[in-house]
Amino acid sequence: MKRNDCQICATPPAFPLNGAGFSRRGFIRLGGLGLVASFFSDVFHPSLLEAQSAIHPTVRGTAKNCITIFLEGGASQADLWDLKEGGWTPAALAPTSYGDVRWPQGYMPKTAQHLGKLAFIRSGLAWVAVHPLAQLWAQIGRNPASLTGRIAPHIGAVVAIESYATRKPDDVLPAFIAFETPKTTTGYFPARYGPLVIRQRGSGVSSLRHEDGNARLDQRLQLLDQLDADRTGGLAKEANDFADFAVTARRMTESPEISPLFNVSGADHIRYGNTTFGDSLVLAKQLIASRRGARFVQSTSYGWDHHSDIYNALRGRTSELDNAYSALLADLAAMPGSEAGKTLLDETIVMIYSEFGRTVGPLTNQGGRDHYGRMGIVFAGGGVRGGRIIGKTDQTGGKAVEYGWKANRDVRPEDVTATLYSAMGIDYTTVRHDDPLNRGFDYVPNAREGQYEPVDEIFS
Amino acid sequence: MRLARAHSVHVTHMRVATAVVAIGLLAATAAMAANTAGNADCPFDPTLHRDAQSIRAEVSRVAEFAAPSAGKRRSVGSPPIAYFEARNIIDTHILDALKRAKIAPARVSSDSEFLRRVTLDLAGRIPTSGEAQAFVADTSADKRDKAIDRLLASDEFNDRWTLWFGDLVQNTQFATAIGQGTGAGSVAYYKWIRQSLAERKPYDAMVRELLTGSGDPVLVGTANYTYRLKQGNGPLQDTWDNLATQSGAQFLGMQLMCISCHNGAGHLELVNTGLAHLKRRQLWELAAFFSKTSINRFVQEPNVFPLDYVLNTTSGNKSPRQPIEGQSDIVLPRYLNGGAPADGELWRTAYARYLTADRQFARAAVNYIWKELFGLGIVEPADNFDLEKLDTQASHPQLLEDLTDAFIAGGYDLRALMRVMTQSNTYQLASHYDTGAWNESYTPYFARHYPRRLQAEMLFDAMYRATSSRFDVCQGTPAICSQPGALHVTKTVASPDPYFLLGFNIGQFLSDFGAGDRDVIERSNSPSLVQAISMMNDSLVLRACRRSMNTTVTAILNETLDPDRITERLYLATLSRYPTANERMLATQYLRGGKVEDRTEDLQFVLLNKLEFLFH
Repeated sequence: MKRNDCQICATPPAFPLNGAGFSRRGFIRLGGLGLVASFFSDVFHPSLLEAQSAIHPTVRGTAKNCITIFLEGGASQADLWDLKEGGWTPAALAPTSYGDVRWPQGYMPKTAQHLGKLAFIRSGLAWVAVHPLAQLWAQIGRNPASLTGRIAPHIGAVVAIESYATRKPDDVLPAFIAFETPKTTTGYFPARYGPLVIRQRGSGVSSLRHEDGNARLDQRLQLLDQLDADRTGGLAKEANDFADFAVTARRMTESPEISPLFNVSGADHIRYGNTTFGDSLVLAKQLIASRRGARFVQSTSYGWDHHSDIYNALRGRTSELDNAYSALLADLAAMPGSEAGKTLLDETIVMIYSEFGRTVGPLTNQGGRDHYGRMGIVFAGGGVRGGRIIGKTDQTGGKAVEYGWKANRDVRPEDVTATLYSAMGIDYTTVRHDDPLNRGFDYVPNAREGQYEPVDEIFS
Repeated sequence: MRLARAHSVHVTHMRVATAVVAIGLLAATAAMAANTAGNADCPFDPTLHRDAQSIRAEVSRVAEFAAPSAGKRRSVGSPPIAYFEARNIIDTHILDALKRAKIAPARVSSDSEFLRRVTLDLAGRIPTSGEAQAFVADTSADKRDKAIDRLLASDEFNDRWTLWFGDLVQNTQFATAIGQGTGAGSVAYYKWIRQSLAERKPYDAMVRELLTGSGDPVLVGTANYTYRLKQGNGPLQDTWDNLATQSGAQFLGMQLMCISCHNGAGHLELVNTGLAHLKRRQLWELAAFFSKTSINRFVQEPNVFPLDYVLNTTSGNKSPRQPIEGQSDIVLPRYLNGGAPADGELWRTAYARYLTADRQFARAAVNYIWKELFGLGIVEPADNFDLEKLDTQASHPQLLEDLTDAFIAGGYDLRALMRVMTQSNTYQLASHYDTGAWNESYTPYFARHYPRRLQAEMLFDAMYRATSSRFDVCQGTPAICSQPGALHVTKTVASPDPYFLLGFNIGQFLSDFGAGDRDVIERSNSPSLVQAISMMNDSLVLRACRRSMNTTVTAILNETLDPDRITERLYLATLSRYPTANERMLATQYLRGGKVEDRTEDLQFVLLNKLEFLFH
């Protein structure tokens, strides 16, 4: 990994009261106190003023569901979402103009047909260029080495916990589902908000099949019920929770409505590109569309860390992504939402993200691109306004020349998190007071002080 | 309850604020009071924690406790409470609080329940059928004490507690913060831990060796401690801070991370009074003990180019480190009690010396071990002691001090500590509470043994032992693995780190059951849907039930087809006890309802899925 100069060396989200990152706007808006910031540097405690926070969060609430596609390894934004051409661009990439957007037509032809649905953030910037840290950073929406980073759950678990208030008895699927994804952590949240991690085998999910047959399973479970009859008698609440999960597991294995949701038909398999990743998006669509409790599904596409021979390596990845993503968008757009007049895509925000980007301009001497802070994020559905492009970079795509949103700075993973929460109707300035550290767990670090906020511009 | 206390602390803080600041805070408080609806006790907006009640109940082990005197009073006219006999100082203290609060404890556990629990807790496995039968049949009065001694002396004790210690120091092959593999060092680390436990090294000596370990982590187990805490994406001071904060949490039970970015004052009053009085500079002074150590693939002290802890950082993972006016920009090592390295003393040696001599070191260790055996610490959270509030934070403060004294006086002998704990009647109480209606407020009184799910490795190994299933994993070529001394893992409790078994479906099972990765995913024993699905459908489970797979079922069916014998043998092997009369009736009826061979497999499956198997 080559170190590049300081796109990514910017000050990370430090605790705001020691100077770096604190928004002075926060103080001024507290209005009427007439006190200077420096007096507060050792006395001011954010939570004392929580209820008086003058940041009025804009919570969009335009999406009921969320599908996130994580490109593992660091996707090359300057070859995809923010295409910059030069002597390095191979002919096969076939850059083509669609209005203002320059698109790698040769590599992602099918997605080109959906450009009208997509919003791009081009002024994204990762904090670190190290895979495991950056991957985790993007998925928990904060610095993993920070205090709350140690207890923070995956973004999907936050969505899950927030969606539990509106679950119906019929909602048998867990709210958060993830396909084999690196480091999905539930943090300090109870396990029920953690992901149902799906390991795909063949055309379905093997763990939902009882090998000895459903008839035998039925018999077995009847005997179990008899022998466990006094289970509520002495054991812990957690034992009862397990028993509830067992009931759900049984429904998922045996129910003629639920278990098909975990199977991919031959036709869908082909239409989504004939890959395991493609299958995962079929399943994501089915699980969300079933309206049986699943609200956040994450799938990971592996292998985007192209340090060498990038344009050959990218071909396979983009083909896989292109087939699956375009089919997903088409299907979601063609399916009805839960509200009249809306499609499922209208109610589902789909996000493609990665842990960081890749170096820009000419290739390295390995014919590849190395880790780089500048990155792109792609949104569709769930209230997102298609055609929006947030931010503008320079000629090679490294530096932002226009940030493109009201905060007027690089878009960070924390802002992306806030954007998702806002779309899902979650108050991203929420601070929970049930955390083991007893200091409050903020969904987005210091959002109440205005340090991060949603990129609202993708919705309007 | 917790929020009410926070509220009162807040008011106290207000009174000591300076005049200028007080104006602002008064305005803020008035605004806050105006904003709170409903519960006058609660200074926070109730909509913030609309689900907090149910969540708090589920997020186990973190609530602050009512003082022991605030228990539920029994009504007049109810039968007298039966209290267990006091076998040692633990029981004395526990009984004292129970009696004052008039809370009825659960009964003492049956022999079967006790044996299964203590065998799991001390040796990480379930009893064999033979052990289960022999123990019940044994009529000697001291059989429980003898079982404890036998288990403490067993080699399996070393496996089980190596697992615990490996969790504590996060021994793993891959650490996110380092950004690269810690590689084969995890095996050397594992071996050192195990050897230390096997030779009964006093705990303080273990920790001193760890803190000062040097060399190539691949070869020198103890060097892994320091290397493990390297912070890859920041200045050296970030790594030194990690060493101070993590050793503080692991060995002092203190959340020093809180003061690694700012002073305690103005931040921690509502969180931890003791920490609120500490300064960030004090954390730097602890971290400075590590600045003469070079921490790379080779850990070396003294460093060839030894460094000072200089206040000159503006980036990395902490807020900028800059000297405050009038103070030096070089921070010299000073322990929390003011101690510095002696002349000529290596700095890490000095740190280890001060830390292990600290009473809090002994206290934190006692509390961690207590938590592991009783399911709940005397102080919770166990890594967030408030040293200025021990008499309220601890559910039984005097008990904690007495055990701490005993641990120190006994030479930091872990086995002696565990002996006292497991010999107590408190530990031996039943997990089933039928001496009244259980109330959550009884929790801090240890009025019962808290049932919890078996941790992942113990659950898997229990399933394999019960069903006579086997596995053998060795990382290496056949040539390497056939050599004496090659590491073969045949039970998951003995796995050196979370990655060792990861490529196999065993590793997936452990991960689903919350084993964690000793890195960013903490161990959890909470149930989940994935676990329920696994126990129901995972091929590992189903195969363990099949007669074609040379299992316990195979052996039983080779010996008998009598439903009653089958039932008894399966219960003893899987649940370590005899079936009750009702269970016998139900099970034999089932076995007679079809082909007995198939139905025996079914019964094995059912017993593995029984809540009693998963929880204890």
